[in-house]
Amino acid sequence: MLLFVEQLVNGCALGSLYALFAVGFGLVFATLGILNAAHGTYASWAAIAALAAVQHLGAPFPLAVAAGVVAGGLLALLVDQIAFQPLRGRGGPAKEGGMLGALITSIAFWIMLDSLAGFATGQQSLNFPADSYPARMLHLGALPLPSMQLVTIAAMLLATAGIHALVRHSRFGAAMRAVGWNGAAAALGGVNPRVVIVVTAFLAGATSGLAGVLGGISTQNVSFTLGEGLMLKGFAAVVVGGYDDVRGAAIAGVALGILEVMSAQYLSTSLRDGITYALLLGFLLLRPRGLFGRAAFLRA
Amino acid sequence: MHMLRAALAAGMLATAPAWADGLAAGTYKIGFITENTGPIAFAGLSYDHGAQLAAAEISASGYMGAGTGLALVEKESASEPARAIQDMHQFIADRTVLATSCCILSGVVKSLTPIVLGAKIPLVVFGATAPGLPHPPLIYSVTILPGPKDTATAQRAADIIKPKTAAWFVAADNDAFKARMAAAQQAVEAMGVKTAGVVSVLSSDTDFTAPATQAMGLSPDMILIYTTQTPAEGIITALRSRGYDHPIVGNDVLSPQSVVQKMGKTVAGVPFPISFSAALAQTPEAKKFVGDYTARFGAAPDIYSAQGYAAVYMIAQAMKSLSGTPTRETLAAALAEVKQIDHNVYGGEIVTDGQAATQGTLIVAWQPDGTLAPWPAP
Repeated sequence: MLLFVEQLVNGCALGSLYALFAVGFGLVFATLGILNAAHGTYASWAAIAALAAVQHLGAPFPLAVAAGVVAGGLLALLVDQIAFQPLRGRGGPAKEGGMLGALITSIAFWIMLDSLAGFATGQQSLNFPADSYPARMLHLGALPLPSMQLVTIAAMLLATAGIHALVRHSRFGAAMRAVGWNGAAAALGGVNPRVVIVVTAFLAGATSGLAGVLGGISTQNVSFTLGEGLMLKGFAAVVVGGYDDVRGAAIAGVALGILEVMSAQYLSTSLRDGITYALLLGFLLLRPRGLFGRAAFLRA
Repeated sequence: MHMLRAALAAGMLATAPAWADGLAAGTYKIGFITENTGPIAFAGLSYDHGAQLAAAEISASGYMGAGTGLALVEKESASEPARAIQDMHQFIADRTVLATSCCILSGVVKSLTPIVLGAKIPLVVFGATAPGLPHPPLIYSVTILPGPKDTATAQRAADIIKPKTAAWFVAADNDAFKARMAAAQQAVEAMGVKTAGVVSVLSSDTDFTAPATQAMGLSPDMILIYTTQTPAEGIITALRSRGYDHPIVGNDVLSPQSVVQKMGKTVAGVPFPISFSAALAQTPEAKKFVGDYTARFGAAPDIYSAQGYAAVYMIAQAMKSLSGTPTRETLAAALAEVKQIDHNVYGGEIVTDGQAATQGTLIVAWQPDGTLAPWPAP
């Protein structure tokens, strides 16, 4: 029983990383209409920036996380303005049928940013110094609880709640949803779509950056492979949870993490990813809008 | 007429020594497929640097003969079979490329094998670890096969630690590691050690908290790891951070200096077999290799560097035995005659059926201060 509970906590922590990533990924898709293949690189670069802040500036844990989050956001903003904004100027990336062009552009940026991340880390898998993050092992009775797992779960809950409140219960969130639905109509209603796009891109990159920094610390792996791992699972979480609801993406991300850990523990590691993607396929076939998505919100 | 024939014969005899005495002067090209990007670029860079140093040394010293040199023509594959095949086709098309060298992954070598055999271009494999890759006279391997050394290390660890049970980590998507683990497991079980369980991970995994929890749930007296470098590092870190304080046995992927630089004390005391270590270099060749490599690349060489270095020296040794202008065919025949690599950093490297090997198994462990020492401590 103890082993089951331990693995449940492990699954929640791993799933929280998927969830954080999925929230950012879903935000871009729902608001900007872009299936952004470069999204994983924001997580890698955020982890690299946070590590640089620790190694070169001696930044404490909160500041290092902040540096990574800001770096992820700025990179996302930069990519959006360089790669996707020109496409919008030619008739819009997604809303007017330009999804394929945006996807191809994002793949190009994915490859470029991944390669640059490889060079930035010397093609090595780097790690955060042990004294630069909360590394203590806590105990709840016989249950060991690594501090970083608790930090990761808490960060996911806070980020998800905050972004959900922003999207659903604020004027800016209403503007985001309006632009996501129809940019031209939103502009006629007094919304500045450019501002919404810029803020959304930054927010999505920052959220993925948070996943990257926490993932880089938890897994002791700061390299270009960090974002690639999150990308596939994050995409699955968005599909399962629903494109336009951050709660769905978060819940699906955590569920995927638990499913992954439990299937490795009780079934087989070889089947682990197969089970994840079978679930993804099942949702695409049977409930393409995901757990929480609205029926009207279908981009594919 | 007789006079003319005699004059011609005399002329031919007069010019013959220019090529019969040794390799014709010139710089010869080796096609080198690099893996400096992609998932195992951390090792690919080391192989490449080792090869570059060997080529520079050979050219500077005239190892193959006066006025001769080697030039590496590098093409990147990122460890992808398709790109490696494309690179090989380009080398084959360039008739100035006499031989090729490649590959960390056994699967990539297997993809290239029919192409290489068909085109009759020599290939020396520098890193792939699966047995049976060589196909003399065209394909050779200087990789020091880790399987027998893994088994010897596991047996030695079982003999010293005397565990009742052992748990095994294996990369489930890597046939070579699966075979290495199976052989070691069989040997250790034959010593009376019971297998508590086998925990499978994938080479692309990055989070090892759950597998570590799974292994600790088996309560083994000893854990042995048969995975590639990144998972091995992650598993050891996860086990130690969760409080596993029993012995852990690793494999040769823990040997690069970058591992201890990254993991610090976490990896200290974990034994693993090694064929070459900069810290334990004994022979003059090895010491010179360490010094020159460090001066040139700013970091100490590792086992991968040593194997890249050996690949180029094996080709150079075969070239050295030729006279006149070499061809791919004559070079292949000369490679088949190489029974030991004369210039090596291991203190001896024999070649049997196209496969290089070293004698004995040196078992070492990183120390808390970042140095390498024999295991167990004398």
